[in-house]
Amino acid sequence: MEEIKIFRDAIKDIPTLASNIKKSHEKIVGYLCSYAPEELIYAAGFHPMRLFSSKSDIILAEDHLQTYCCSLVRGVLEDSLSGRLDFLDGTVFPHTCDSIQRLSDIWRMKGKYDLFWDVVLPVKLNTQSAKIYMKDVLNRFKTDLERAAGTTITDDDLNRSISTFNLIRSHLSKLYQLQSRNPGILKGEDLYSIVKGAMVMDRDEVARLLPLIVETLEKTSPPESRAKRIVLSGSICDSPGIYAMLETSGAVIVGDDLCTGQRWFEGRILENKDPITAIAERYMDRIVCPAKHMNPVVRGENIVALARENKADGVVFMLLKFCDPHAFDYPYLKEFLDNEGIKNMLIEMDDQQENLGQLSTRLETFIHMI
Amino acid sequence: MSDPSAQKAKMKSAKKMRDLMTAYYIDALSAGQNNKRVAWITSGGPVEPLLAMDIIPVYPENHAAMIGSAKMGEDLCTKAEEMGYSTDLCSYARADISCSVVKGGPLGGLPKPDMLICCNNICGTVLKWYEVQARFYNVPLFILDTPICHTGYTPEIAKYVRAQIDEYIAFLEVVTKRKFNHEKMATVGKLSLEGQKLWQKVLNTTAHKPSPMSAFDAFFFLALIVTLRGTQIAVDFYTELVQEMEERIQNGISVVPGERYRLLWDNLPIWYQLKWLSGKFSEHNACLVADTYTSAWCGTIKYIDENRFLDSMAEAYTRIYLNIGVDQMADQVLEMIKFYDVDGFVMHSNRSCKPYSFGQLDIMGIVQEKAGIPVLMIEADMVDPRNFSQSQVETRIDAFMEIIKQNKG
Amino acid sequence: MIYAGIDIGSITAKAALIEDGKLIDTLIIKTGYNHLNAALKVFDALLEKTKIRKNNVAAIISTGYGRASVTFADKALTEIICHGVGAYFMNPEIRGIIDVGGQDSKAILLDASGQVVNFAMNDKCAAGTGRFLEVMANAMEVELDQLGDFSLRAEKPAKISSICTVFAESEVISMIANQENREDIIAGIHESAAARVAILARKVKIKAPVVMTGGVARNVGMVAALEKHIGMKLFVGAYPQENGAIGAAVLASKL
Repeated sequence: MEEIKIFRDAIKDIPTLASNIKKSHEKIVGYLCSYAPEELIYAAGFHPMRLFSSKSDIILAEDHLQTYCCSLVRGVLEDSLSGRLDFLDGTVFPHTCDSIQRLSDIWRMKGKYDLFWDVVLPVKLNTQSAKIYMKDVLNRFKTDLERAAGTTITDDDLNRSISTFNLIRSHLSKLYQLQSRNPGILKGEDLYSIVKGAMVMDRDEVARLLPLIVETLEKTSPPESRAKRIVLSGSICDSPGIYAMLETSGAVIVGDDLCTGQRWFEGRILENKDPITAIAERYMDRIVCPAKHMNPVVRGENIVALARENKADGVVFMLLKFCDPHAFDYPYLKEFLDNEGIKNMLIEMDDQQENLGQLSTRLETFIHMI
Repeated sequence: MSDPSAQKAKMKSAKKMRDLMTAYYIDALSAGQNNKRVAWITSGGPVEPLLAMDIIPVYPENHAAMIGSAKMGEDLCTKAEEMGYSTDLCSYARADISCSVVKGGPLGGLPKPDMLICCNNICGTVLKWYEVQARFYNVPLFILDTPICHTGYTPEIAKYVRAQIDEYIAFLEVVTKRKFNHEKMATVGKLSLEGQKLWQKVLNTTAHKPSPMSAFDAFFFLALIVTLRGTQIAVDFYTELVQEMEERIQNGISVVPGERYRLLWDNLPIWYQLKWLSGKFSEHNACLVADTYTSAWCGTIKYIDENRFLDSMAEAYTRIYLNIGVDQMADQVLEMIKFYDVDGFVMHSNRSCKPYSFGQLDIMGIVQEKAGIPVLMIEADMVDPRNFSQSQVETRIDAFMEIIKQNKG
Repeated sequence: MIYAGIDIGSITAKAALIEDGKLIDTLIIKTGYNHLNAALKVFDALLEKTKIRKNNVAAIISTGYGRASVTFADKALTEIICHGVGAYFMNPEIRGIIDVGGQDSKAILLDASGQVVNFAMNDKCAAGTGRFLEVMANAMEVELDQLGDFSLRAEKPAKISSICTVFAESEVISMIANQENREDIIAGIHESAAARVAILARKVKIKAPVVMTGGVARNVGMVAALEKHIGMKLFVGAYPQENGAIGAAVLASKL
């Protein structure tokens, strides 16, 4: 499909993509976390771009971050220091985890880009005071963005932004539903390309393309599939190879609990109330990341529900090595799944280089077992 | 906890300290029999309201340090691994989590908590750790969310944390089914501040040359300001300790015989290697006169107003050493280097503590540039000895001391 | 009917032939650089050894790291599945398998019908693998296959605390520098490796009887250290290294 190819090509060459975006947008603002308030960045006329590691060798970042820091954080810092992110005008850090908290300091101290913001969101998402604080912080960020853009961000700007992001997110949801209903209607790698593209490409173009893709797929008669149905859980999955590996092993991804997946795009913003309040509410209520707190068992309940809804044969935890929040949750999530009789397995990954030999051994065995 | 200062002129306070800690733990362990409630609380958490409500605070982190000192860390960390906890996670958390399950450690496990109080000013790890324990013990969990102050304490943060102090008190009232005791709170607040000031005084005595105590002693004497902050016991003990240090200064007793070199330590202690490390530096006539870790329990005195303790506590607990930007941390290190007049800086790159360790390399560069002193980085772990290589560390310390000796002559 | 299994591991290539549910014979060679060549070589050599003609072999399954390179096999399956089937074929009583190879260590739990119900593998670190023992044997200047005997003669195993192979090696070297007893150091090395593998065994909640497979199963010191750590007896069959290849051959007979 032509539209999907646009996504595939776009994510292959981020610097070229960025220089094309530069022609129509004032500034590019990078971010690393699905809690970054993209709606505000977009409303300011800037382009929000999620940063992934280019997976280059770590050389310059060695002088700033020890080896026991995760490959995503080290990799993105390496990209910045080696000039691979020179297209950025600035970066926003919503407080994510201990490692990204320090990355933000190092980034700020390096001062490589004109613009820099810490938007320290609440970690607690279950109280009234946290909700007020969330709004306060978003309002402050809005003011900071206005200063950087030299304009005022009006409610109309915000509402336009909200409807664009709602459209993108709801269509990504539809794609996932289609894939879950008709596994294999999309190749795993294509789905990965579309979701990743939606985080880095011009959002207006994303909003134009997604409905076309959904429409085409809705008319497509799905292939007969006897593949095992897998739900992925973890932080980021930036390894398209995994999808291919699963598919050749006779499995298909029917849903995920990833911050480069459903955690990032599920949850709409209400369109007929004060926009900042509505945005704050969406970030308070969306599927929670393990670095935030809703209640001690919410992620366990979520993963079970996700597996059930998608009739999953198994859940694969794909965790980045040295990622504390996810590693702390794993034993209890596993227990929740075990208690429900849902088969699951853990893979510890390194974003830099994948030990594919051993990885495929594990995945194939798991798929054989379920 | 083993006292690393055993081989030196004995400190009278060491025994007293052990007795006080023993009494405290006996008290905590028998809380159930005396109809007292127990709260588990993080090391940087606001303990004062608990004391005002007669709740016994227990510190899993202090307990984990004891596990480390007792060399029980490897076994408990391994058990946690078998439970599915990655070996890359904080060893305090791993040791404590498995200890709850197997009732291990030097005390046979901590007393069961009636509630959990988690303040994330030290790290995000405590949040996950306390969620684990909230599930395990099925007790209420209160989180005091103190947003990191990368560049300053913003009005939004101030408002948010202050609102949570009220939520905290309401939480305690619900759990204990008792009204909060504001009168007692005022007393506890005063005692807390006094204790912190005395602890600062204790630490300041090492500015004297030769130093009457070392960071290794501070690691040991720290336990009271952590666990009994806000009590008369801590105030009395540290009053005596200050006196003892002043006497040692008057009598010319130094903790390192023939002290010639003064060093600053960064990050948590390596609990299972204190004796060896202390001896290793002593061999070189080097004294670790100060550290960035033990001063964290008196580093925010300037924000506390004892007449408005609850209000000012919000700021004090939010602006602690670990909850600020790396550049601000570096500034504090530079101040300490000046104040204690040190010749070298020893950094423990601690695999268990990301907020403390990431940024160290930048602080190292700043210290080398601005203070012009040698910096040594040791890669280890505070409780899990499997991430420590004695021979490697030894070689590095020797080389580092050679450089310092060359510099100083 | 005759069936073959070929297991291409990181260090050795193994082949096994079965006929009518019985093992005919097995063979082991060094893997070398080219996986396909190794597979052809070990298969041909085994046919030569047993005087069986290639076209009498009804089906072949490949397994191990290099399984995908064995283009002449009918199917490729992971060594975990094959180890499970192999162990069960040799002894249907077996419920647990501990396999320590060159790059990997694994613990596998079987149900009463020989199905794999749970497994765990080491992460990418070499602690507790054959490679770890190889590095240590070099540091100790002892032949790899003598390592086990040395460790059994120890009076007081040395304590090696580092997990990391590089760190552990520097620990060993400093023990050598201190002229500590060689047998004690070697026993310490086994202790340290066994501790890592035992974690995997406990992760899958291994059940007796347990068989040990893989090249390291021939190391008596490692077997003894592991038995102590998991508190169970370990059985070592006649073909510990070929267990995966045997399982592959059994699975080939069911194609």
